[in-house]
Amino acid sequence: MDAIVVKNLTKKFTFPVKNESAGFLKNLLRPDTKEVIAVDNISFTVGAGERIAFIGPNGAGKSTTIKMLTGILFPTAGQIRMLGLDPTTERKKLAYQIGTVFGQRSQLLPNLPLTDSFEFFGVMYDLSDAEIQTRTRELIELFDLGSFATQPVRKLSLGQRMRAEVATSLIHRPKIILLDEPTIGLDVVAKKSLRDLLIRLNTEEKTTIFLTSHDVGDIESLCERTIVINHGVVMRDMRTSDIAKDFIYEKYIDLFPKSTFIEFKTLPKGMQYREQTPNKITVAIDLSLLSVTEALKKLLGIFEVNDLDVYDTDLETVIRHMYEKDTIHT
Amino acid sequence: MKKIRFTRKILTTLLRDKTHYRGRLFVDTASLVARCGILLLLYYYVFSQNGGEINNTAYVFVAWSMLLYFIFMTFGLRNVARSIMQDVQSGTVEILLSRPMSYLWYKMWWQIGSGLYSFIVSFFLGATTLFLIIGLPHTMLTASFFFTFLLTSIGTIFLTLLVYTAVGLLSFWIEEVSPIYWIVDKAVMILGGSYLPIALFPPIMYKIALYSPFGASQFITHTVYESWHYDWPLLISIQLGWIIMMVVVVYLMFSRARAKVSINGG
Repeated sequence: MDAIVVKNLTKKFTFPVKNESAGFLKNLLRPDTKEVIAVDNISFTVGAGERIAFIGPNGAGKSTTIKMLTGILFPTAGQIRMLGLDPTTERKKLAYQIGTVFGQRSQLLPNLPLTDSFEFFGVMYDLSDAEIQTRTRELIELFDLGSFATQPVRKLSLGQRMRAEVATSLIHRPKIILLDEPTIGLDVVAKKSLRDLLIRLNTEEKTTIFLTSHDVGDIESLCERTIVINHGVVMRDMRTSDIAKDFIYEKYIDLFPKSTFIEFKTLPKGMQYREQTPNKITVAIDLSLLSVTEALKKLLGIFEVNDLDVYDTDLETVIRHMYEKDTIHT
Repeated sequence: MKKIRFTRKILTTLLRDKTHYRGRLFVDTASLVARCGILLLLYYYVFSQNGGEINNTAYVFVAWSMLLYFIFMTFGLRNVARSIMQDVQSGTVEILLSRPMSYLWYKMWWQIGSGLYSFIVSFFLGATTLFLIIGLPHTMLTASFFFTFLLTSIGTIFLTLLVYTAVGLLSFWIEEVSPIYWIVDKAVMILGGSYLPIALFPPIMYKIALYSPFGASQFITHTVYESWHYDWPLLISIQLGWIIMMVVVVYLMFSRARAKVSINGG
C-alpha cells in the first residue's frame, strides 16, 4: 500500500502589493494582488516503509508541500492521500497516524523532565497510561535517552534534545514520520547518531520516513530515494545512489597552515582552488577523476598543513549540477 | 472523555511546571500587593476624607471589588493574545496544527493552566489579608452570592479568553498585534474597574461598562455591590450574550486565519 499519494498538487498564494500610483484608500480597501505559485502541479507516491528525501533550495516549495501533507495548509488544486486519508478534511484523524519533527522548533516541555513530555503527548494521542509507560520505556531504550530522561529538557544538549524530539514524536507509533531539517545545528557525532536511529526505526518499526534537509550527508546516508523540487516543480525523482553518482561528484577539503600559506601552486588534474588565503585554502575535488584519499595524498605533498577538514558539496551545488546537466542535454 | 483527560493533563502538567518557578509566584504576589495595595490605600484615604462613603458606597465594597479585579489579573488570561502572536511569528502554530486537537481549545486551556497556580495562591492570600484587615461586606454573605459569583467567574474567564484570543488571532493578518492589545487591555482595565471602582463610574461610563465586551469580561468586580443582588440576572445574561457572540467571532476569525498559515517557509 502507498503511504503517500500526491496527484497534480498545486498551491498558489496571493499577496496584496502596494500600487504606488493608487491612493491610500485604494491600497487599503482594494489593493492590487500578486500571485505566487509555491507548488506547481507535482505528483509522486511514497510506498509504506520507504525512506524518502524531499529536497530543494530555500523557497523551492518543500515546506508548503509538507504543510499540505499534514493538513495544515489547503491545496489550491490536486489531491493528497496520506494513508488513504485526505489531510484537508481529515486532519485530526490523520494526526493520530503521523509524526512531525521540525528541527528548529521544539515541542518538548522545557522545564519538566523528558518523561513528562512523553506522558503529555501520550495523553494527547489518547494512549492509555499502561501504553504510555510501555512506549516510553521502548523509546528511552531505542533512542538511548536513559541517562537524561529525568532531567529538565532545557538542560539537555542540542544533540540530546533532537533525539528526544524525534522520540517524542513517535510516542503514538506513527506510520509516517515527517522530518524537517532534523539535523540542523548538530555536530558530526550527533548527526550520525540520529541518522542511525532513524534507520533503525525504519527497519524495526517499518515507519515511513519523509525527510527534508539541506545536509547532503543526511540524504546520502538515510534515504533510498530522493525527490528534488525547485520553483515548485519536481526536478528529479530517483534513487539516492544514482543522484550521488550523477550529481554529487565534488567534495571539499579545507587546509589550515602550520604558519601561513605563501605559495599557491597549480593543482593536479581533478582539483581546483575555491578559496586561497594565507590562513586557509579550500580545494574542490572532482570525484570522477580523483578519490578523496588520492587528493589528500597529493595536497599533503604540496602544502605544509596543520589541520584539515573534508566535507560534502552543498545542496545548492548539487541542484546547480542538475541544471547544468539538463542544459547540456537540451 | 478524551478531551477531559487531555484538559486535566494540561492543567496538572502546568501546575507542576509552575511550582518549579517559586520566584515567579513571589513576583506575581509582589505585583498584586504593589498595584492593588497602593490603589486600596489611596481609596481608603479618599473615602475617609469623605466620611467613609462616596456615591452611597462604603469603602469595604470598593476594596473587595478592586481586589477581585487584581486577583483575576494574576490569572494572566490576557496573555493568550501574546501567546498566539508568538505562535504565528515563530511558526509554532504549524506544529500545533499538526496535532490531533483544536488549536484554540488547546491555547485557551494552556493559558488557564499557566495562570492557575498564581491565581489560587493570590486568591487565598489576597482574600485572607483583606478579610483580616477590613472584613467582608454583607453582600458576600448572602445565599445567592456564592452561586452567582461562581457563575460570573466562569463567564469572566471565558469572555476574557475569547476577547484576547480575538486580538491574538489578528496576528495572522498583521503579525504585530501589540498596539491593538494595548488598546483592548486598557479598555478592559478601565471598564473593569481597576483604576476607578465601578461604583464611582459616571452613568454613561457605567452603561458602556455594562454593555461592552470589555466591561462584561470583568463582571466579577460587580458581585460585591448591593446592586448585584438585583442585577445579576441581567449582567450574567449580557455576559452570556457576549460569550456566544465572541465564540462566533473567534470561530470565524480562526477559519479565515487557517487559510493564512502560509507565510513561514518556502
